[in-house]
Amino acid sequence: MTQRVEEVPFEPRSVYRRRSGRISEIKYSLYLARKNPLVLSGSVLAIGSILIAALSGIIVDPRSWAFQYPPRYYCWNNPWINWHLQNIKPCPPGTPFYPLGADAFGRNLLNMIILGLPIDLQISFSIVISAFAIGVALGAVAAYAGGLIDEAVLRITDVFFAFPGLVLALVLVAVFGRNLTILTLAVLVVWWPLYVRLTRSQILAEKEKPYAEALKAMGAGRLRILFLHIIPNSIYPVIVQATLDIGGVILTFSSLMFLGFAPSPLTPELGKLVSDGISFVSQAPWLVIFPGLAIVLVALGFNLLGDGIRDILDPRLRR
Amino acid sequence: MKLYEYVIRRLVLMVFVLLAVSVIVFVITRGVPSPTYALAPYITPRMTDPQKLQTAVGLGIAEPSCPSWVDFTQSAPGCITPLYVQYFSWLKQVLSGNWGNSVIPSIGVGQSTWGLFVARFPYTAELAVAAALITVLFALPMGIVSATHNNKVPDHFSRIVALVGYSMPVFWLAFILQIIFVIYLTLTIHGNTFGLLPSSQTVGTDCALCIPNPGNINTYTGAPILDAILSLNPAYFWDALLALILPAITLAFSTLGALTRIVRSSMMEALRQDYILLARSKGLRERTVIYRHALKNALLPAITITGLILATLLGGAVVVEEVFSWPGVGQAALDASLFLDINFLELYTLVTALIIVVANLGVDVLYAFIDPRIRY
Repeated sequence: MTQRVEEVPFEPRSVYRRRSGRISEIKYSLYLARKNPLVLSGSVLAIGSILIAALSGIIVDPRSWAFQYPPRYYCWNNPWINWHLQNIKPCPPGTPFYPLGADAFGRNLLNMIILGLPIDLQISFSIVISAFAIGVALGAVAAYAGGLIDEAVLRITDVFFAFPGLVLALVLVAVFGRNLTILTLAVLVVWWPLYVRLTRSQILAEKEKPYAEALKAMGAGRLRILFLHIIPNSIYPVIVQATLDIGGVILTFSSLMFLGFAPSPLTPELGKLVSDGISFVSQAPWLVIFPGLAIVLVALGFNLLGDGIRDILDPRLRR
Repeated sequence: MKLYEYVIRRLVLMVFVLLAVSVIVFVITRGVPSPTYALAPYITPRMTDPQKLQTAVGLGIAEPSCPSWVDFTQSAPGCITPLYVQYFSWLKQVLSGNWGNSVIPSIGVGQSTWGLFVARFPYTAELAVAAALITVLFALPMGIVSATHNNKVPDHFSRIVALVGYSMPVFWLAFILQIIFVIYLTLTIHGNTFGLLPSSQTVGTDCALCIPNPGNINTYTGAPILDAILSLNPAYFWDALLALILPAITLAFSTLGALTRIVRSSMMEALRQDYILLARSKGLRERTVIYRHALKNALLPAITITGLILATLLGGAVVVEEVFSWPGVGQAALDASLFLDINFLELYTLVTALIIVVANLGVDVLYAFIDPRIRY
């Protein structure tokens, strides 16, 4: 008996478990993600859209966005069509070489959608990452410092919460003109306060826990406790919110482009593509349906992913 | 703290928030573009240059020592007053109700900005209230059913509706509904083909279900449905209702999901409580347990979010109004932003901010009235 007890510490498996608890935790999370069909489809959609956006310049010739055939919004290389002027119609989906049809300028709609994707994702990621950084920094400082700083940060977020969605964007774009930096800022300005509030409430709950007190008793510095212990422990809901918001920002940004705030008529963007298709909606409804469907799929991917991450990372819902 | 002390504290804070909003909007709209834009709502083409300069001085934008209108438009040194002085004179003008005249072409050149806003606001309010009603009417049952049938078909259905609602661009949904109900679902009456619902008017008479000549109504409130009821005109009421259906559904769909999920989670929380166990063990019917005991306690978070939803709907209807040509303030604000009508943008921003702040306060006070456990 005594021999066996001595053997235990040398068992390689227990050493592995103790040293790499975090790795096995990640592995377990990934296993749960694989098992859930919704999360799986969400991550396929999200990662797929990121890949397509990153490779869009290779898949499709980027010049084809600006390349227009003004009078020929029909299938110009479709042998099935009778080349008579009365038969000229927009090219419907499903014709050879045009899986989603052609748009009003004779461009391949599928190629246009692939070309329009990167700008949406790029801007959405930059807005969410900036909002996340501002929110975590301000929220953590406000919650941990408390007192006057906390009150000041809260009142500032109050002011920005009073601006509803697109309203401030309308003002900013009207005054500073239409360019992508202003549009990005216009969305960011109304988006960051949410992260401040969320991070603040998380950290307020976390900093009262016994381990924070224990760390303080051990003599750890305030900043060390905040950045190495409290923030990593309370950041998961904020990450979930960020994942969900990537879809939301895409919707807001494409609405702005749809409303006519695109910097130029040739800006490759999905909301712009929908608004280009409007004038043909009764003859060629696919020009509105498919670009919008692409937005829905991308946003749905990130929303499913965020929803799933919440369920997986929350230990109460986990098992 | 007593409730009235809390309300007074919140009201004071509210004034400061609104002042801060007005400062931000003012600095953005007056500090950057040429001062002539700020003046445009107040001058008419018939004014002579000295008269224009007089107006600018009167509004506190130009210094009295400014030699001529041309110097003012070229921003000559010593001609334009500092921004903070402009702000206070602007605040004085605005608080006395002088918002100048609209400069938005095709909507109301020459009409006063305030008058334009007041004439258009009832339309937006009608749309927002209808959307909020639809949201609540669908979200409450869906939330309750998906909480009582957790992880079964109704729950999955409501989860999918919520997720799709979050992920769908409003402008796209608007067009999909138009394609279905206006272009594809058609009826032929007397040889003319009509779409089922009107596409883009507040009172459309070009649809199959509409009543062709609804007659006239008197303007009492400005909102077509209310006015039709007050004028006792059922045909007009029917037409206005038909025209409201598509925009209201579009607007409601994006908020439907959020409310459903909140009702579901708070309902599930309530159903886990001990008093539900007690109610069940007393032998009460399941219906009574759910609706009289659980729902009453689960409704609190739903009320909070409904107040906020109404506020966001009021402010966020820009896209829906634009797509459906709904003559509300959102559409006018979009035009104002395209034509740089600074005064209308300021008015619109301030009123929406006011509505949101008041809605927040109202929800918090309502909370204290409904829930005896909450004390401030």
